Amino acid sequence: MLSALLLIGIVFSFCHIKISKVTIPASAKVGDVVPIQLDIDESCNSGGSDRLILGVLMPKGWKGTQNMTATYKSSKGDGSFTMVPLTTLAAHGDGKNWPDYMRATFGIAGNLIDDMEWVVMQSDNPFTYANGDKITGSIYINLKVGADDNPTVVKLAYVVANTTNGFTSDTYFDEGYGPTAEYYNQYIGDCFTVTGGSGDLVDFCNPQLTTVSPPKSLDNDLVTITFDSNVIETELSGSDEVYLCATGTTSDGQTITICEQTSRTLMKGVGSGRYEITLWPRSFFGVSDSQTVTNMTYYITDKTGTKQVGYGNTTAPFTYKFKCG
Amino acid sequence: MNRYIIPSLLCLLLFSCKTEEISPVGEAPKNISGSWKILKATRNGTDITNAFDFTQFRVKFDSTGNYTIVNRVPFLVNVNGTYVLDDPAYPFRITFTPQGGSAVATPFNYITTAGVRQLNLTFVPGCELNVYIYTLEKDN
Repeated sequence: MLSALLLIGIVFSFCHIKISKVTIPASAKVGDVVPIQLDIDESCNSGGSDRLILGVLMPKGWKGTQNMTATYKSSKGDGSFTMVPLTTLAAHGDGKNWPDYMRATFGIAGNLIDDMEWVVMQSDNPFTYANGDKITGSIYINLKVGADDNPTVVKLAYVVANTTNGFTSDTYFDEGYGPTAEYYNQYIGDCFTVTGGSGDLVDFCNPQLTTVSPPKSLDNDLVTITFDSNVIETELSGSDEVYLCATGTTSDGQTITICEQTSRTLMKGVGSGRYEITLWPRSFFGVSDSQTVTNMTYYITDKTGTKQVGYGNTTAPFTYKFKCG
Repeated sequence: MNRYIIPSLLCLLLFSCKTEEISPVGEAPKNISGSWKILKATRNGTDITNAFDFTQFRVKFDSTGNYTIVNRVPFLVNVNGTYVLDDPAYPFRITFTPQGGSAVATPFNYITTAGVRQLNLTFVPGCELNVYIYTLEKDN
């Protein structure tokens, strides 16, 4: 009998949790401190005490661990959040810390460029709850956006959980929460726009004709440019071969254009209408040891070189700056 | 009389044992002399071996501590120079010092796969977040 009660206690522990509403401005400027409010509902099916976990998915370049703070107000008391040390292992996380556990569980929440991170905080004080408690509260996040000085379009995502149950769920039907009630909840926001900044637009949200991987690199990295012909109909739709036509600018002001339709610029088909080329910018543009390639503009062309596709399927070239921030 | 015999026998047994000294077998110094090519390349964990032409690259180590790079690609160093292991027999790090440049060190990961020695080198040639691992194998 005792073991059965213990088992029930283990299976049905803590509180089902939901992010019922997220309030955030539609846009902001680089350097703004953006207020974000998460309204939380919890329904508890046992008694206990625990801390709340808060994770926010954002571009790595925003340096969230330095630029995010959060407080909370709830029917169980008020307080603040602190960053969870990377050395803290997550409950049920198979040896992962909380950011890695969130990454493994939720990925990058539908964003299209893999240059994002989960920034994870926990409430300063554990709060005590009883079986049948219905807890309401709000989390108030202040996030300084655009530390990398790049205009950005991104889907921010939020996860709430507790330090005991991690990202587990049960089959217990919780009225008002449905049969899939869980001990955690994820909320993926709409596309959020950050304007201003001196860098290139980084659009995590909308499919792009071309993407560059790694998103941040220098001219001594190996850089992969991918052209996705399925995004929209272009002049190159139906072409069996596509090529890169690129112009590099060096730190001493020289411009070097490589716009030939040869094996040097051929983009390999990788399936599903996508083409890739991986290049070493220093070698591709043939710069001397004393020169640095600082930025690059480029088009995608057909094998005659006469049909060109540029940024947003216009005559303007795609642009890329070689920088790490 | 008997009370002296048993202790005497015990002493005899005890001191009749001779310690046999076994000379330790020394670990052979790691010899990486030769020409090495890139078998596999990853960037931030993604295999890019077939995405870029690494086939012409070689790094050649000689027995006197010099290395030579043939057909450059992004690597720990871009200029010929000298190399040294932190311990000849049990190396944990290899340091490259290019001519006229600063020393660059990386973990010495010298593994055996299918009976063949491979050398894994980890390095960051560009942005700090972009980590590359080349798996090298002797050319022949």
